[in-house]
Amino acid sequence: MTLIPDWQIRITNFGLGFILLCLVVAIAATNTGNNGLYVVLAAMLSAMVVSGIVSRRNVRGVSCEIEPIGEVTATRPVPLRVRLTNGMRAETAQALFFVHEGMPGPLWIDPLKPGESREIVVEGTYPRRGVVRRPDAGLVSRFPIGLFRKYRRASLPREVVVLPLPEPVAVPETPPEDQRGGRPHAKRRGSGSDIRTLRDFVPGDDPRDVHWKQSARMRRWIVRERDAERDRVVILAVDNALADPADPGQLEMFERRLSRCAAHAILLLSRGGEVGFQSRGVRVAASAGRSQRTHILEALARLEAIPMSGAPPFPPVRRGDLRRMVA
Amino acid sequence: MADGLRRAYLSVLLPAAALAPIPLYWTGGANPAALIAFEAILLLLGIRARQGKPVSLSTTWLNLLGLAYLGWVAVELTTMPRSFLRIVTHMLLFSAAAKLASLKTSGEAKTALLVIFLLLLASASSSTHVASLIYFGLIAILGFRTLVRIAVLADFDEAPPPRVLQSVPTGGLAVVAIAGACLLGAPLFYALPRLRAPFANAPFRVSDEFSSVLASDRVDLEAFGAAKRSDQVVLRVRIDPSSDRDTIVRLREASFTQYFDGEWRRGDRAPAVPRTGIHLLPAGAEREPASVSFELAHFGSGFLFLPYGATTVELDRTRLASQTSDGVVQISSVQSAVRYVASVRTRLEHVPGDSAIDPNRVPPEIRDYAFQLTSGQTTGRAIADRILQHFLQDGGFHYSLDAPPPVGDPLVHFLLRSKIGHCEYFASAAAMMLAARGIPSRLVTGSYGGEESLFTDAVVVRGGNLHAWVEANLDGSGFVVFDPTPPAGIPPASSRVAFWKRFISLGQELEFFYDRRILGFDSLDQIRLIDSARDAVGLLSGAASRLEAAAKKIASGSGRGPVIGLLVAVAAFVVLAALARRRRTPPATRAYVALREILARREGKLADSVPPAEVARRLAKVMPGSKADGERIVKVYAASAFGGREPDPAAVRDIEESVKRLRKLA
Repeated sequence: MTLIPDWQIRITNFGLGFILLCLVVAIAATNTGNNGLYVVLAAMLSAMVVSGIVSRRNVRGVSCEIEPIGEVTATRPVPLRVRLTNGMRAETAQALFFVHEGMPGPLWIDPLKPGESREIVVEGTYPRRGVVRRPDAGLVSRFPIGLFRKYRRASLPREVVVLPLPEPVAVPETPPEDQRGGRPHAKRRGSGSDIRTLRDFVPGDDPRDVHWKQSARMRRWIVRERDAERDRVVILAVDNALADPADPGQLEMFERRLSRCAAHAILLLSRGGEVGFQSRGVRVAASAGRSQRTHILEALARLEAIPMSGAPPFPPVRRGDLRRMVA
Repeated sequence: MADGLRRAYLSVLLPAAALAPIPLYWTGGANPAALIAFEAILLLLGIRARQGKPVSLSTTWLNLLGLAYLGWVAVELTTMPRSFLRIVTHMLLFSAAAKLASLKTSGEAKTALLVIFLLLLASASSSTHVASLIYFGLIAILGFRTLVRIAVLADFDEAPPPRVLQSVPTGGLAVVAIAGACLLGAPLFYALPRLRAPFANAPFRVSDEFSSVLASDRVDLEAFGAAKRSDQVVLRVRIDPSSDRDTIVRLREASFTQYFDGEWRRGDRAPAVPRTGIHLLPAGAEREPASVSFELAHFGSGFLFLPYGATTVELDRTRLASQTSDGVVQISSVQSAVRYVASVRTRLEHVPGDSAIDPNRVPPEIRDYAFQLTSGQTTGRAIADRILQHFLQDGGFHYSLDAPPPVGDPLVHFLLRSKIGHCEYFASAAAMMLAARGIPSRLVTGSYGGEESLFTDAVVVRGGNLHAWVEANLDGSGFVVFDPTPPAGIPPASSRVAFWKRFISLGQELEFFYDRRILGFDSLDQIRLIDSARDAVGLLSGAASRLEAAAKKIASGSGRGPVIGLLVAVAAFVVLAALARRRRTPPATRAYVALREILARREGKLADSVPPAEVARRLAKVMPGSKADGERIVKVYAASAFGGREPDPAAVRDIEESVKRLRKLA
């Protein structure tokens, strides 16, 4: 059974067995004329109808809204805030399970009283980078007697951008002197030889910058922050035009390129460089800092593979900037 | 399956498993020892599950137990060859116990549920007692609870927290779901097609006295008294039109002409060829005959209760009955309620039939007594009147259901010595004395009156309504009814159920409902239901047609006058009612209300809680120059509304002037 259904209502195996039993009892009752069996049959048939009505109200009456807390990176656990509201005036919503593609199994929801709202935080993962507008999450219930399994998809207050998971890569090469940009120098942090300060390690830092003695003393990872050695403007580029965008092999390679590009961008930005991003029809102007990291990763998250034929060209590079194709 | 999950499944399944086979104890569907063993095993499983150590038999143990049980089945087959149902139910009991003791997957829990359901089917199909309704109710509640919890457990791979099973289903929802299922299930039960006659009928709840009184061609004096003491329902009668209910109170069942030592026999009468419809009398010409429907609840073989004047009798279910020469309709042995409809003429001069007591077979003591009593009378009517006078006035007779034990012939003992007895004693003695005087007469048993049904418009005839009287040919023109029982012994023509008896009646009505409407429901009942539905649709259709015709008449103009008149009358009524309401409002209050309205127009909506003085103050603030008028109105209003002092005419004129000024100012 897939956890996230692509249907709204489905009869369960138990329900099929129940219908089969109804047939058996119907045949027995008709053949024998036993009114005791007719009573049981009538009860079973009416139970089916009541079950359908009650379960429909039970699931439809509850709204479910999910929202990730913080940045969402593909395949990495992320806390999700789930808001449940029972919109029914008289009925308690019960026997509900919350399902999410990033969760190992259904999560039991305690009964929601009429009009009650509840907020829970669960941990989930998004398996793929991209933009999620319709979540693969929702409420499932077999209520009341398990004949039907009903699903209601959760809603999102806004789209979720799932960033690509950076692939562990080597530190990108420093651009050669003759390719450096013509931007004015600035006393910025970077990978120069002078140590500017010591600070806590953050993801993306070069492991070679770890200050081992200080780390041992402080019992946490401390890195050296250096002055920027020189102005480095690197435009990372990924070719999103594929010969066959439907080919899984090509798509996998494309995804790996995006992951690698993300890793390069994070590393270069963490070392104080100015980094931009380009793809066919996509351009993120070069800049430095944490916000630039977000811009580039979001652009990577939204990037879609397009067919080679008719693909737009790469945007032009400013004079002095270095465009590096990520392969 | 984890122990915790197994424990949860057991806690859900065990109550239903324990309840499902209970009726088999009474229906004989299972050996009591087997049932007790089954319940004991369930108890053990429950205790172990509650202790957190649920029993989980290994496959090897299960196989060994299965093999051992196969051996037991062989023994059962050889020793109880006719109890196939028992063998099957025992196998189900064994399967249920074994499955519950070895739950390994959630699928096996569902298999156990299936076996429990089969036990339920065995119980439901073999139960014929009204108490089955309690069983059905309990199993509905428990079954719903079990199914809901099983459905919840299906999504758990491990033991759920205890709160999970405790939280479902909520009580309110369970009630709503079960009520909904009942509301839906009841019409479904009656709508499901019936191709065969009911498999099981109501148990034959006839006690000895009833069987001897109602279900044979003989009746003895003691048994009749015992039957009259009973509170059991004999039959239900529905009379259409109900206006004839007062005239159709005496129902004739059987007539008797041979007496021997306290027992009456019908004598040998050659019955006619049995048929489903019987013509008793030619239809009367006076008016549309009444239609009387009967449901004879307690019956073995015997006679139909029929009102005097019955012209035809139609029986349900293609049953056959035959008519004898004395107008009695006899039916062969049946094991369920008998339904029949009689057309009745309300005016009847004489009772058909000519069979009578043989005067030579009247006991000599009674003959002598009769001649001694009626020696001065010569006509039949005079003799009958003398006998009646003797019983009611000068004979020293008393009506009682507790007749003293007779010495010798009970009738002779009653007439000569005890002078205490019930209606059959009086009727028997009168019939014998009339016969001794040469007047053709016979004893007739039947019923008189009845009580109103609790839930329907039917008349319920109980054992207490059984009655006996005489039919005699007093003047040679034909047999007529002659009832010599003192008034105290004649059942009331119509009675209401006493409050404290309603509970008992309720149980009896329920029993009747179950026997008749559930257990005995058949295709003929369905046809009747369909006919009723068709009639109802016909009535609705007729009403719609009449409505349509009336609408067309109005539209065409011919009926417009009355409609316009009606509308004018309604409008006049509304206006007059408004004026009357206005008149009822005191003038000071009217002025104050006007004051509030003026202020509301300036300030917006005024809260009801704003007191009168505040209204005047605010008005003075927003409308300079209104202070004096406002305060005057408020003062008069306060005196009127809170002080009970109505303003004199001059003051009324003053405040009305004030209101006018304020309106101008506003």
